[in-house]
Amino acid sequence: MKLINPYRNLRPRGGPLQSGRRILQFVNLAVLTIVFAATSGADAAVSHGAVEAKLAYCQDCHGPMGQGYRGFFPIPRLAGQQTEYLENQLRAFVERRRPNPIMSNVAHVLSPDMITALATKFRDFNPKPLGGGPKELVGKGERIFQDGIPEANVAACAACHGPQALGYEQIPRLAGQLYPYLIKELTNWSKERGQNPAKPDTSFIMAPVAHSLTRSQVDAVAAYLSDLK
Amino acid sequence: MDLGLRRTQTGPLNEGRGRRTMKAASLGLVLPSVILVIVFATAARAEDKGTATVSKQAVEAKMKYCEVCHGPSAQGFQGYYPIPRLAGQQPDYIKNQLQAFIDRGRVNPIMANVAHVLSPAMQTALATNFHELNPKPVGGGQKDLVATGKKIFEEGVANTDVPPCASCHGLEAKGDGQFPRLAGQLPDYVFKKLTNWSKERGQNPEKPDTSAIMQPIAHGLTEPQIKAVAAYLSYLE
Repeated sequence: MKLINPYRNLRPRGGPLQSGRRILQFVNLAVLTIVFAATSGADAAVSHGAVEAKLAYCQDCHGPMGQGYRGFFPIPRLAGQQTEYLENQLRAFVERRRPNPIMSNVAHVLSPDMITALATKFRDFNPKPLGGGPKELVGKGERIFQDGIPEANVAACAACHGPQALGYEQIPRLAGQLYPYLIKELTNWSKERGQNPAKPDTSFIMAPVAHSLTRSQVDAVAAYLSDLK
Repeated sequence: MDLGLRRTQTGPLNEGRGRRTMKAASLGLVLPSVILVIVFATAARAEDKGTATVSKQAVEAKMKYCEVCHGPSAQGFQGYYPIPRLAGQQPDYIKNQLQAFIDRGRVNPIMANVAHVLSPAMQTALATNFHELNPKPVGGGQKDLVATGKKIFEEGVANTDVPPCASCHGLEAKGDGQFPRLAGQLPDYVFKKLTNWSKERGQNPEKPDTSAIMQPIAHGLTEPQIKAVAAYLSYLE
């Protein structure tokens, strides 16, 4: 990820230094600014305390270990999630590719450094899945996840999400994700993702898959994943 | 062309249904033509399983399904596994590989399931469609290795008995017949294949295949050489 230095405008520029008369005056400022800029590198720009405070704020809704939570809406598990996926989704909320007023506000105030710090924290959590899907659907869900339904043109989820559903880079971990959250996303895919035509994103890959799964197949896959460690 | 063939088949089949209802009225008279129609219908069905019919819609739906993983123009995609580029690929190679997945010559549970439900007509249609796609390569190989890779690809490594890749895959790496196109292939995919050749190909001893040709070559290349070739191929249009 490209980090944007919030202090980039404070760096000393060539202009003032060229005007010989005020060199000394500016040398002081320049030195001060360089020190400032140097300490504002990737890990210094966001303090440990600020990250912990923000993490506690996320955990209010996403659960104390990021395991997800059934609030009024199903609030997704973030624990063990791929950092690139989390970063992409936060950007998607800001750019209204994923219209979600709550998350859009949340994401809007996060600096790139904070996003990186939070994504890393969540990736390192590993709580037990909440579970909650009907157990009798797990076998069917596992088959769909691992093999797909070739005769119905449903691709195997495992091809991109991995056989353990841990995801890879921009492809999300699904293991342990909340049963109702998975159902909500898969049954609403083309209304919830990729909603900003000016900024197309990779969510279009999932559109035909979500579209070709029947509701009972969605339930089965969600049940399988909701229990998967 | 496919639609044309289909139309010629519906004729005798419909006719058969009509004549079967008439059979009750005048059995003796109609029986010979019933037999004729059954023979006709059987032949048509056999053709169905062969190369005859697959609807345009069915092919388009299946293409979309393939492209979920292989990328919207089949340029390849980095999922959990590197999923290979199929765009511009040789149709014979695609068909051979689909068969290899079914025969477990290439052990890949996902692709075995995928291939298993494809009729020969569908395989031909898909292979032709992929062959005609021509998106830009995804790239991604290490840029500073491209020149070394090009040299190995075009000249081989004589002192370790590695022949030039170009002698079979062509100077532009477009492949020919059962030799696959390599131009624009995902570098991670090329690396994974070449470093695992004898564990991934020709795995069914009862059905030996041409993958044996590549075995000593893959074996003779060092990992840095493989990385270089993969880098070169990843940018090749």
